Amino acid sequence: MRRLTAAWFIALFSATLAAQSQTPTTIPEMWNAWCARCHAKDGTGKVATPTVKVQPMDFSDCKLTSPEPDADWQTAITHGGPGVGLSSEMPAFGDALSQAQISEFIALIRGFCKEPGWPSGNLNLPRPMFTEKAFPENEFIIQPVSSHVKDTPAAVSMAAIYERRIGKRAQLEAVVPFASVSTGTRESGLGDVELGMKYALTPRATRYLFSAGFDVVVPTGSESKGLGGGTVVYEPYIAAATVAGSTYVQGQFKIEVPHGGPRADREVLYNVYAGRDLSIFPDTWTYGVEFNGENEEVALTPQVRRGLTRTGALAAAFGVRLPLNHREEQGIRWVGYLLWEFLEPVRPRR
Amino acid sequence: MGISRAGSAAALAARAAIVTVAAATVATIALAVPAAAPRAGGTIVGVVTTAAKNPPPLRVTIDPDVCGQTLPDDSIAVDAAGHLAGVVLTVPGVKAAAPAEAPVTNDKCRFAPRVSLVRPNGTVAMTSKDSVLHTMHAAAADTRSLFNVSLPIPNMKISRPIDKPGVVTLTCSTHTWMRAYLFVTEELSAVSGADGSFKLDNVPAGSYDIKVWHEALKAAVPTRVVVKDGETVTLNVTMK
Repeated sequence: MRRLTAAWFIALFSATLAAQSQTPTTIPEMWNAWCARCHAKDGTGKVATPTVKVQPMDFSDCKLTSPEPDADWQTAITHGGPGVGLSSEMPAFGDALSQAQISEFIALIRGFCKEPGWPSGNLNLPRPMFTEKAFPENEFIIQPVSSHVKDTPAAVSMAAIYERRIGKRAQLEAVVPFASVSTGTRESGLGDVELGMKYALTPRATRYLFSAGFDVVVPTGSESKGLGGGTVVYEPYIAAATVAGSTYVQGQFKIEVPHGGPRADREVLYNVYAGRDLSIFPDTWTYGVEFNGENEEVALTPQVRRGLTRTGALAAAFGVRLPLNHREEQGIRWVGYLLWEFLEPVRPRR
Repeated sequence: MGISRAGSAAALAARAAIVTVAAATVATIALAVPAAAPRAGGTIVGVVTTAAKNPPPLRVTIDPDVCGQTLPDDSIAVDAAGHLAGVVLTVPGVKAAAPAEAPVTNDKCRFAPRVSLVRPNGTVAMTSKDSVLHTMHAAAADTRSLFNVSLPIPNMKISRPIDKPGVVTLTCSTHTWMRAYLFVTEELSAVSGADGSFKLDNVPAGSYDIKVWHEALKAAVPTRVVVKDGETVTLNVTMK
């Protein structure tokens, strides 16, 4: 009887061991057993016998994977591809894995990018109205502004902004504004074009990002018509980004130096933005407020932003800059933008 | 003795009361079920057959240690006598509650059952017996993806809601041959079994053109049937 019990125990133990050996227990084992089916063991998405129609993203391509924040990866793994507007062939793992396990998967996936020095996508924060982003971007933006100063007809402008990332850390930028102002008679036309460059200073830091930038304003707008400043202006700045809890914090300090002008013409600009998302999905609403300073003039700009597609490649924002002092000179400015991240797919996949 | 007499009187009174209640109960039952009246609604029974043959087995391209080298192609599940399984027969215009939950299991790289009935706003309860990664990708008739969940761990259970009437197709992202169908309906329906037989109960008297659905074949004969209260009518369906 005792021998029989022992035999049963051994049989049961062996069966349990066999079942366990088939079920992966560590995150790398799970990756190889489950995810590698489509994504390949090396994360490139190139497998011998593909079973999905949509080729998965190459996770070893740092340019594609590093700009995305962990939250997007978390959403994609938890809710499947459609959670971030990508292929429905990517299933949801939210029932099978804990959020802690999913975080470990994200760390593993991040490891497929073998080149150090790409700034963390967790610091790729929503674009504020006036504060320059620290993260180098690939974006095209249309930014309308309507300024209302007491006893003066409204001045409106529409700027086209093109930002192009160069390598891991740099970004080139061009701003082409069109303005309509009234100085007795209404004048409309090209404003002062701005060319700039930005460079990430702390690309390996995971909790904050500092960047330095330099813009040059070219006097392409007519000074006599009130469309331009009439002189070249140099604008060096520092931009910073961090995340405190679930609050995005961004800041910028900038000096505007007119070419050949007197020292007194120099202007100091300082902006701080704080904002949060309402959901984890790329088409979330984000609400925030900016504190804007220009010399001794200060203002607050409450604003909302929303991703327009499920991939988040298109977004729109709206806000109003309200003066805190010098109210008559500053007036009120309605501002908005329409943004297109041109490396992201605009239309969600099915 | 006085006590005994009093007791007898009480017992007599109690007995009289029981007789009264029993008589009343019999009267109520007699009123509720008139013995001679026919049962409301009829029954449709039948067998679905086809001349089509089972397709050749599918060659397994991935996970042969779990799935085997080949698998039967379940798209036409017909026995030697030509009895066809997985055909849905629906009585048009007759509302009836399909199951609130349709259980579907991944078993050796096949979904079981192949065809399930479920009511609108019901759920599909999914599980897997296999030690390989399966997913259950549900698509509506217009190919819109409803959900895709992974079942990487054997015996884990996941439920998802199924909202609108229509045929929902289940596929697996990792094993491309796997298929199952959820027939989401609020009309009286039945699925033919392995022997091709089906039974539709409680069909109100009337004349019906029974709707027939199968994933690959169509009904080759008229399906008009006249149902009478309390009677069983036979409708044999041929598919091609």
